[in-house]
Amino acid sequence: MRNKDASLINYLMLVPGVGFILLFIGSSIFLTFAQSFGLFSITGRSEFTLDNWVQVFLARESLDSIRFSLKMGVMSSVGTLLFAFPLALFFRKGGAGKGMLGSLVKIPLFIPALVAAFLIVNLLSFHGLVNTFLLRLNIIKEPMRMLNDRFGWGVIFIQIWKNLPFVLLIVMASIASIRDDTVDAARNLGAGYLSILFRIYIPLAMPGILVSMILMFIKAFGDFPIFSVAGPIYPSSVAVRMHVMATLYQEWDQAAVLGIIIIFTTFFVIWAYSRFAGLVQRED
Amino acid sequence: MSAIIETQAGTPLHVRQAKRKKQFYILLTAFFVAVQIIWVGIPIFMAVMWSLVDPANPWSFPDILPQSFSFEPWKFVFRYTNIVRALRTSYTVAPLAVLLSFVLSLPTAYVLGRKRVPGRKFFMLIVLLPIIMPGMVVALFLSRVFAGIGLSQTFFGLVLAHTLMGMPYMVRVLTTSFASIPQDVIDAAENLGAGTWVKIREIFLPMIRPGLLAGMIFAFVTSIEEFNLTFVIGTPTYETIPTILFSFMGYNFIRTNASVVALIMMAPNIVMLFIVERFLKSDYLAASLGKM
Amino acid sequence: MSLLKIVNLTKKFDDVVAVDGIDLDVADGEFVTLLGPSGCGKTTTLRTIAGFYYPDGGEVYFGDTLVNNVPPNRRNTAMCFQSYALFPHMSVWDNICFGLKMQKIPVDQQKQRVSKVLEMMGLQRLENRKPGQLSGGQQQRVALARAIVTEPEILLFDEPLSNLDAKLRVQVRVEIREMQKRLGITTIYVTHDQDEALAISDRIVVMNDGRIEQIGNPYEIYRNPLTSFVAGFIGLANIFEGTIVKRENTRYTVEAPFGTVVIDGEGKAEPDSSGTLKFSWRPEEMKVRADNGVNRIRGTILHTVFMGNTTDLFFEVNGFRMRAQTDEVDVVRSGDTIEFTVPENAFSILRG
Repeated sequence: MRNKDASLINYLMLVPGVGFILLFIGSSIFLTFAQSFGLFSITGRSEFTLDNWVQVFLARESLDSIRFSLKMGVMSSVGTLLFAFPLALFFRKGGAGKGMLGSLVKIPLFIPALVAAFLIVNLLSFHGLVNTFLLRLNIIKEPMRMLNDRFGWGVIFIQIWKNLPFVLLIVMASIASIRDDTVDAARNLGAGYLSILFRIYIPLAMPGILVSMILMFIKAFGDFPIFSVAGPIYPSSVAVRMHVMATLYQEWDQAAVLGIIIIFTTFFVIWAYSRFAGLVQRED
Repeated sequence: MSAIIETQAGTPLHVRQAKRKKQFYILLTAFFVAVQIIWVGIPIFMAVMWSLVDPANPWSFPDILPQSFSFEPWKFVFRYTNIVRALRTSYTVAPLAVLLSFVLSLPTAYVLGRKRVPGRKFFMLIVLLPIIMPGMVVALFLSRVFAGIGLSQTFFGLVLAHTLMGMPYMVRVLTTSFASIPQDVIDAAENLGAGTWVKIREIFLPMIRPGLLAGMIFAFVTSIEEFNLTFVIGTPTYETIPTILFSFMGYNFIRTNASVVALIMMAPNIVMLFIVERFLKSDYLAASLGKM
Repeated sequence: MSLLKIVNLTKKFDDVVAVDGIDLDVADGEFVTLLGPSGCGKTTTLRTIAGFYYPDGGEVYFGDTLVNNVPPNRRNTAMCFQSYALFPHMSVWDNICFGLKMQKIPVDQQKQRVSKVLEMMGLQRLENRKPGQLSGGQQQRVALARAIVTEPEILLFDEPLSNLDAKLRVQVRVEIREMQKRLGITTIYVTHDQDEALAISDRIVVMNDGRIEQIGNPYEIYRNPLTSFVAGFIGLANIFEGTIVKRENTRYTVEAPFGTVVIDGEGKAEPDSSGTLKFSWRPEEMKVRADNGVNRIRGTILHTVFMGNTTDLFFEVNGFRMRAQTDEVDVVRSGDTIEFTVPENAFSILRG
């Protein structure tokens, strides 16, 4: 038993860490927000206006960008999970050589996104290894276009490759925390492999699954480097479009609008998650 | 031949089933290992191949492997690009950012890990903001803030930006380390006469050391691969390895040079992966709970 | 003069009152056990003595000195923790030496004292190991060694044996008691295990719900519980309440729900003036099929449990359940009607 420690000294000790982060992140969010409404504008004028919002929402390019980024976010997080979940289940059991597999799997986690993009570009490019192999095996007649494609398969593939270990680690931790007793009890009561999967593993691993998917979505939605390497020429991702707007066209205020859209989406997803996670936890 | 069949038939069913199950798992592991070697190994292998292509004898479709090898791309990159300067920048910024984030995180992590301050959960979330917030948004608008206070395109600004990105890992890992020190151990030290300074030196610092190492490595790796903030705040005055790589992947895409830079950037990270692996496994703190 | 004196001690956590005004005097060299169920305030009391908690009310004196606001590192106590709380990053030697370093004892004396205590605890060959490399029993010894090497004024134990297996527990508690007697250190020992408390203590303090129920030596606590809580918590008891119908000096005739009993209250508590009497007796006091004696109770056996050295008999008298113990094997079966007697002086008179 302990009392609450609400003394001033404790809060003072929070200042270097929390304060530092709050100062810089807070000020940049504030500036983004203000500029999207024309305040503190780079042009020197500071005047409330909804112009920037109207212009962004009237431009087809912006809407296409948002739609494309949403698609990338969803496809990447679902895709990564589809690879990670079976692997995580396997790691709970596993045979000899699991340790080696564990180290192998984690390598992409430590490869920077940009390098990951480059590595996969080598494989997927028009004259890359995959196309060469498929041609040699006579599976395809013409090389396939897998990079800079309209749909964004290249981006999704790189996202999955790079983030698989990240999602795997989180899902694995939540699967590992399921007690053997729980699984044994279910089997003892007559549950088969499928029932155990759907009634024990998936529901109990749900918090981990949700967190990893949320973080994955946020990463893929706001991604800049991977898209600029492997994304289609049109539409661009929101982050890329925002960067182009700000640095190429010097339309900082409209870039701010896009920035707020990204921030808002991020916060919305986290908020939705916290609601949903609350529901999941209340059920057990 | 018949003898073997007989002994096999003589083995009880459950033994054979158990054996088959074990074999199945070994097979499954082998399968996953093979898939992973292709999944992770081939892309890296290809980058190594590309970095060794002889410019006199280009590697072109549909050859599976280059015709001949040379170190020309490596020589070229080191001779004609800014890579040496970028390396120097990367590896001076990273340690400074790690150090700064350690100093800033320590008191905060202590309070978050050991004190029941009201609002603790909220602070824990705030701390995560730099990694939750989309990188490019923070980069663009932080650059405006930095420009406002004269930190844009400065070395100190770059260190601050990298510190910011490393803080979430540092604070979180240290918080966990502090939290996992059993109160009993601290009480025992106090009971035996340890004052505040002795507690910090003899108990807290040694006991958070494994977590500290992990936090430092995370922050270091984050700094080495940080792209968004450096791209907006640092370039063109300061280039780091990621921004060099990015420049090679744009309009003047030269696969051989990019391969060299990618390998330079990747190798130290993978080494660190194995360091973290070794140190994070130790259940150092569990030992003090008495129940093994 | 007492070595430790606690006056009207109160401790709250947020709104929960953990210790509610207790008084306790401990003499020099005494072994006092705080016994009670979890949440009774015994550990809070111990930790307040150590100085980890500052009292919200009342006083704690070491000798004449008021120590209410003295921090734990300035108090000359040594504590053995339930979790042992060994420093995982230090060797056995460094763990034991820690307190001496804190007291700034000269290095040669440190060495001498640590070696001596290592030998005393049979830990000589383990001095370079880390706690993680020791068994539970060895860790326990190191914790004990670390506490006694500082020669504290008061030795404090917080359920030190609860992580050991049953056999080791009995062995170590004998060792603790022998060592305490030899060194003559005043000791406060917290446990929820009644057997441990009875076996080890000079005096037992039975606590419940933040208050002291009874203080006494083990014999008094067992033979003469003063409250129904003490009667029920320590050993087994049949507890009933009845009306006093006749009184001759300290001899009471009581009409209880199951029948009339005669209680010899000499040396027992005085009943209150209400005319009702709460009393208890131990199952092992009941004699089966005794030929003579008063307080005959006829009951129907519900079931029997064979326990090795005794057999537990659960029976019913006029719809009230009771429990008896007998060392005669195979005398009764479920469904038998049987007569018990209880000696007049076997009853305890309870205050609440």
